[in-house]
Parts: sequence; C-alpha cells; structure tokens
Amino acid sequence: MKRLQFKWRYLYLWFVFIILYAPIVFLIVYSFSQGSTMTNFHGFTWAHYQELFADSRLIAIFLDTLLVAFLSSIIATAVGALGALGINNVTRPLTKNTLLSLNNILMVSPDVIIGASFLIFFTALKIPLGFGSVLLSHIAFSIPIVVLMVLPKIQEMSTSLLDAAADLGANNWQLLSQVVIPYIMPGIFSGFFMALTYSLDDFAVTFFVTGNGFSTLSVEIYSRARQGINLEINALSGLMFLMALVLVVGYYFINQYSSRHRRAATRGRRK
Amino acid sequence: MQRKQRLSRNTAYFVPYVLWIALFVIAPVILLIYQSFFNIDGQFTLANYQTYFSSNTYLMMTLNSVWYAFLITLATLLISYPTAYLLNATKHPQLWLLLIIMPTWINLLLKAYAFIGIFSQAGIANQFLSFIGIGPQQLLFTKFSFIFVAAYIQIPFMVLPIYNSISELNASYVNASRDLGATNWQTFSRVIFPLTLPGVKAGVQAVFIPSLSLFMLTRLIGGNKVITLGTAIEEHFLTTMNWGMGSTIGVVLIIAMVIIMWLTGGRKRRSGKGLTK
Amino acid sequence: MAVNPQPIIRLTNVCKSYGDHQILKDINLELEAGKFYTLLGPSGCGKTTILRTIAGFTDVTAGQVYFDGQVINGLPANQRQVNTVFQDYALFPHMTVAENVAFGLKLHKVPKDEIESRVQSALALVQLPDFGDREISEISGGQQQRVAIARALVMRPKVLLLDEPLSALDAKLRKDMQYELRELQQQLGITFLFVTHDQEEALAMSDEIFVMKAGEILQGGSPVDIYDEPINHFVANFIGESNIIPGKMIQDYEVEFVGKRFECADGGMHPNEAVEVVLRPEDLDIVKADQGKLVVTVDSQLFRGNYFEIVAYDNDHNEWLVHSTNPADEGEPIGLTFDPQDIHVMRLNESEAAFDARLEQYDDEDAD
Repeated sequence: MKRLQFKWRYLYLWFVFIILYAPIVFLIVYSFSQGSTMTNFHGFTWAHYQELFADSRLIAIFLDTLLVAFLSSIIATAVGALGALGINNVTRPLTKNTLLSLNNILMVSPDVIIGASFLIFFTALKIPLGFGSVLLSHIAFSIPIVVLMVLPKIQEMSTSLLDAAADLGANNWQLLSQVVIPYIMPGIFSGFFMALTYSLDDFAVTFFVTGNGFSTLSVEIYSRARQGINLEINALSGLMFLMALVLVVGYYFINQYSSRHRRAATRGRRK
Repeated sequence: MQRKQRLSRNTAYFVPYVLWIALFVIAPVILLIYQSFFNIDGQFTLANYQTYFSSNTYLMMTLNSVWYAFLITLATLLISYPTAYLLNATKHPQLWLLLIIMPTWINLLLKAYAFIGIFSQAGIANQFLSFIGIGPQQLLFTKFSFIFVAAYIQIPFMVLPIYNSISELNASYVNASRDLGATNWQTFSRVIFPLTLPGVKAGVQAVFIPSLSLFMLTRLIGGNKVITLGTAIEEHFLTTMNWGMGSTIGVVLIIAMVIIMWLTGGRKRRSGKGLTK
Repeated sequence: MAVNPQPIIRLTNVCKSYGDHQILKDINLELEAGKFYTLLGPSGCGKTTILRTIAGFTDVTAGQVYFDGQVINGLPANQRQVNTVFQDYALFPHMTVAENVAFGLKLHKVPKDEIESRVQSALALVQLPDFGDREISEISGGQQQRVAIARALVMRPKVLLLDEPLSALDAKLRKDMQYELRELQQQLGITFLFVTHDQEEALAMSDEIFVMKAGEILQGGSPVDIYDEPINHFVANFIGESNIIPGKMIQDYEVEFVGKRFECADGGMHPNEAVEVVLRPEDLDIVKADQGKLVVTVDSQLFRGNYFEIVAYDNDHNEWLVHSTNPADEGEPIGLTFDPQDIHVMRLNESEAAFDARLEQYDDEDAD
C-alpha cells in the first residue's frame, strides 16, 4: 500500500519534470540535425552551429545583448544596493512602506505596461530609441529585484554589529566599506545574478523601446520565429542553454558559499 | 543613537534610487494615464474611454483576455499544487525544486519557439497523436496550444510559492487533524489547503497578471486566435500608432492588476465570527 | 485493588526502528484506566515515540499495541479513541478558539447545538469560558495550551496523550498548570499519559512513572518508590539529586563504602558483591567531625533559599552533596550521619524484573 503510493508520487513528479524539459531537449537535439525542420532527425551535423558563428549580424546582436545585460546589472546592483541601505535607514514606517510599495510596482507590472510607459517616457524626453533606451529600461526593471535581494541581508545584520564597529572607531565610510558591504555581499551577488537573468530573459520591454537600429537576442529570435523554423535558432538555443547552465551553477555555488559562511558565523557566535 | 543621526545626515547615496523611483516608476505611470486622454492627432479628449466602454469589440476582447488568463491560471494551479505537494515529501526537495525552476532560466522566446516545432503539422506532438490512432490535428495556432504553452511557461512561478507555504506547514497540524478524527481528504480540505492558501494566492497573482498581457505567445503560438489586453496594447503602440487608445487599454490593465492584487492580497481574517460557520 | 483488571492501553514487545537505528527496544507497558502516567526520560530516549505509536502517528516495527483489549496496530489515528495535546499545541491558525475546539466534533457530524454546548463546557473546563471568538494569534502561550487541552478533551477520549505540553511555558505558569492538569485528570477520571523530560514535573503529577533511557523502560513505579528505590545509577541520577558511591555488599543488611561498614536495609545479593550506594543529600545530617559516621571536608557551598547546598569530599575523593539548613565552613572537616534505611544499595546491571523479585523476597523476610 505504502510502496504503491511512493511510486505514484515519483511518477507524477517525473511526468511534470519531463514536460518541463522536453521542449528544451527537443530544441537542442534538433540543433544537431541535418535538414531544415524540427520534424525528423536527419543525422548529426555541426552545420547549424557553423552557420551561427558565420552569422555576423547574430554575433553582433549576441554581444550587444551581453553588453546590455552586464552594464545594466552592474548599474542596477549599485543603485539597488544603495537604495536598500537607504530604505533600511528610513525610520518612519509610513515612508518606509511607501518606498517598498513603489519599489514593487515594476516587479508586479505586466511587461507591456512597463514597455509602453517607458516608450512614452523616452519619447517625451526625446531620448532616441536604441542602445541607450534599452540599457536604461533594463537598469530600471532590474533595480527592484536587487533591492529585494539585498534588503533582507541588511535587516539580518544586527545593529550591535554596527555599534561595535562604531565603538571601535570606524567612521561612516569605513562602516560601509568594511562592515556593511562585506556582510551583505551574498545579497548583492544574488541581486546581480537576478538582474542578469532578468535582462537576458527580457523580450517585451525591449521590444517596445528598441526602435529600428538596435536589437537583442530575444527580439531577434521573435522576428525570426515569426518567419518559421530556422535551425540556426536551435543552435543558438543550445548555446544559450549552456550559458544558463553556467549562470545556475554560479548562482548555486555563491548561495552554497554564503550559507556555509553564515553557518560558520553562527557557530562561531555560539562559542 | 549617534550613529543613526550621522548616517541620516549623509543621504547622497540614496539619491540615485530616489531618482529612479521618480523617473522610472512614478513618471511613466503618470505619462501613460496622461497619454490615454489624447487621440491619435494629439488632441485632448475622453473619446478613448468612450470608445473603449461603448465598443463591443473592446469589451469582448477584455472579457476574453480575462477568461483566458483564468483558464491558464487554473491549468497551472491544477498541475502545480500536486507537484509542490509531492515535491515537499521527497527526500531531496531542494534539488527537485531547483530542477523545476531551472527551465525559467531558458529564454522565454526559445521555449515558445520550441513549441512551434513540437506542435507543427508534422511535429512530434502530431506524430504521437498519429501513433496512438487519433491522427494528426491542427495544434499550432489554436486556443488550446496558447493555453498549453502559457501554462507550461508559468508552472515554475506557481510551484515555487505553493511549495514554500507547504514546506512551512507544521507537520503537527496534520497529526492534530488526524488525531481529532479527520480522514486524509478532510485533513487536506480543512487544514492543509486553507493553511497553504497564501502560497496559492501568491502563485495566482504571479500567473494571472502576466497571462493578461502575454502578447508574443498569442502571435507565435496562438496565431492571433486569442487577443489579450497585452496584444491589443502592443498593436496600438507599435502597429497602428494610436498611443492614446493603447494607453487607455494600459490603464484598464493596470486597474485589472490592482483588482487581482486586492483579491489575492493578504486580507486580515475577520474575527468575532460565530463558531458555526 | 484489581477493580478493573483490563488495562486500557497495553504495549507488548513493541519495537520501533528507522533503518539500523532502534528507537524502541522491546517495550512492555500497561496503563490502567483512570490513572495519571508519566513517561520520563532525556530527549531522544523514545518517550515521544511511544506516545506516537499509541496515537497512531507511527507504526511499530514489531509487537502489539492494545486499546481496551483490542489490537490497534495499523488502525489510523483518526479512528482511535485517544487524543493528543501536542508539544507545540498545533492549534489551527486559520480558525478561532471555538472553531479549533469544535473541529473534531464537526468531523464526527455531532449536531450543531450539541457542538455549541460541548465547546462551551470544554472551554469552561480549562477556564477560558469567554475566549471562543478569539483568534489563536491573539491569545498567550498559556491560553493556547489550555485551548489545546480543551480541543482534545471535548472529544471525550478514554486516554489523553500529552507530549511535553508544559515545556514552552515559563516556570511559574508551568507550576500552576501541573496542579491544574492533575486536578483535571482526577475530576474527569480518564487516563492521562504524560511525556516529559522534567523529573520534578513527573514526581509532582503522576500516579506512576516510567523512566526511560535509549529506547528502554528502566523502571516503572510510583514517584515515591522510584525516588526511594532507584534501580540503577541512571535512575538515581535522573530523579532528584543523589550521592552515588561505589561499595561492596558484605552480607545481607551490611554494606561497605569509603572503607567503612554500615548497617543498611537491603539484602538478597551475593556476599562481597560490588554495588553502588545511593544517599540522598537531604538524608545526610551534619554533625561535628568526631561524631560523624563519615568525615568529609567542605569544598564549597551555595545558599539556595530554604537550604544550603554543600559540596564536600571524603578521603577517597568521592563528591558528597549535602542539603543542610545551617551553613558550614569551607575547608573545614565535618561529620555526616544517616539512618540505615537512608542507604539504598543498587546492584550493577540488574533488570527491573529481578529487582522487583528481590525486593519482594526480602520484604517478606522482613515481615517474618
């Protein structure tokens, strides 16, 4: 009786798991298929990858996408981390809650609303659509997630830690650079990684604010996919899967490191 | 005390964040609302709202969009709740959870693109249907495929909050319920489900709002058979260039979003209720 | 004595293991109806597991669990006529106090007005008559404790299982609840099985205590029996404070320790058998050094309010704990006296059955 239940449980989980991964595996498998459709596997080839690396337009877009992702994540992390520190220092509950609500608006807003309103905003300020507007948008929608990742770390930090540092003679800048920042570093890293994935994953907002001259991978895939199957996109997805894997593993290890760190710290405190 | 004062005097570091709030959170929303009062020729007017609320096309489109978002959310919930529940009972729930979340790191467009291949006329889904004797069907560009792919994409976002609320559930609640005579089903319906409702609400919120506004899926997978609020906004902004009307629909979408957040938000339980409900 | 020969709960040869780890080793236990029992032991000794096998939350690996003469192994928890008060109370946070108490009755399809009246009287029983409409989050820990008891009692169980229910309360409240629980049990006349690691709690409330260690019941008996006649070093140490000194049984009623021979009340052992001797600190009286049966040197003392706790050492470096109403001088020798019946002699590795048999045998001899 119990055994049977056990099996069903795993059967269902495996089913969900397979459904979740099948399309991704499917994409990558066909990136190695000769021929030009995703219907029957026609034998192994690297041809689509060669095609991909010869496609200078796609390579340029790929590099642009990475540039936007890294630049926007770095800037968003800086602004967001300082913002989280600021929010934490606000003493009036009303102001604090208002700030937090405003922070979360872009988190819950649908992408189209963000895209459309940013488009109006850039047009109103006469900011040309292109690299600049895309970068600004990515920074804008990445900031709140950084705040949400950093704020708990700041709140977890006990005030006596700061008092102790001040007591030992640290000035404001030393307090920030030698006590606060190192302590909240895991949160900052998490925020940076989340910002990176947000940026790499975004389609809708970029689609609205990109104009004609500039494109990111998501937008490019969209316009190519509308024209039908092209196994070069499969090859691209193979590469992006690898990239995602690297990000996941990186994120995982940083989390592991920080939790080990935290455990060691608590152990030390208990002694 | 002293430290607080010193820190609060020096607030220069907070300036970029406050600027961000002003420029990228408040200003765009105000501009969107402002824009909704202008027609395509740039004249101030209430006509957009008049058109919207008097036109069957717009109202039906809105209803349809809400209906499809509801279906997508329901499908996602029906798959995700058991998944989260079973996940919690496995030996390595964190590992399983990571595996469930991993696909969200793959670009959305690529996953949608995969389904173009899977659902195509000679694609693997139709090969399977032929194999079990049903014969090939038109799968791509149908409402079904739209709901399927939208649910597929959003499953992890539903599993995560539900899993969190289930894993926080104290095992002794279940024992207490059994102890007082509840069957498995009664324990689930009267104790487990009500106590994990916050997770379900968070999941619904995370799935319903994006489902109202997905526009690339309606084009790539739905073949324009389904028009969501998102599709309509994109159409007005980027194709017909009627930003006023687009903003009006945007305002409607924002209102819809606020309503959903209000419905799924953590309202406090009324106290002072009689004991027999 | 034997008014009700049928025990309400009986465990025979119950074993429980997870993989290689044995939680319960051959547990035999009988609970009579209407008594207050306590399972006492350090954490991890398996006491809560016994409770869970009776409640039906875990299956036993081997052995039988009887309820009212019927084997209930495998019977799901929701079909057993026992109810549990959980350590963390497990009050449903999405229900009011009254809804929590009414929960089990509703499941059993009890008529509405009966539910209402039974909930009212259950809440009155735990002295929370007007708390029905409160939310669980609005009431204090002590009040939650009472609600948890009411929720279990409203089901009118034949046996109430209490899993360390007082451990989360502060000291004062815990004392009050000890009285109340004892009173409640006597008023209702049902069986309570109480699990705790607090020996004071166990001594204060129970009709009978089972002392457990590492998955085994070491000794069962009334609080007085267990305090006065602990079966071994562990029990003597765990229940109350004691001086446990290695010794040698010369013959019946004569024991040797710290190089001297003393008259005692124990017997039934081999001549010259190695034993352990227990002397409770409150049984030791301080006299002048030359008048004592033993001479020890005072090392330190603490004032404990109603007595002084004195630590002293004899010439064999055994530590002696003495409770005295008068202070002693640190570093000075003092004499200790005690009565023969204050000496309790324990054999090494004696089983409970052998212990009981021996006790009975020489008690009979005494009576002759």
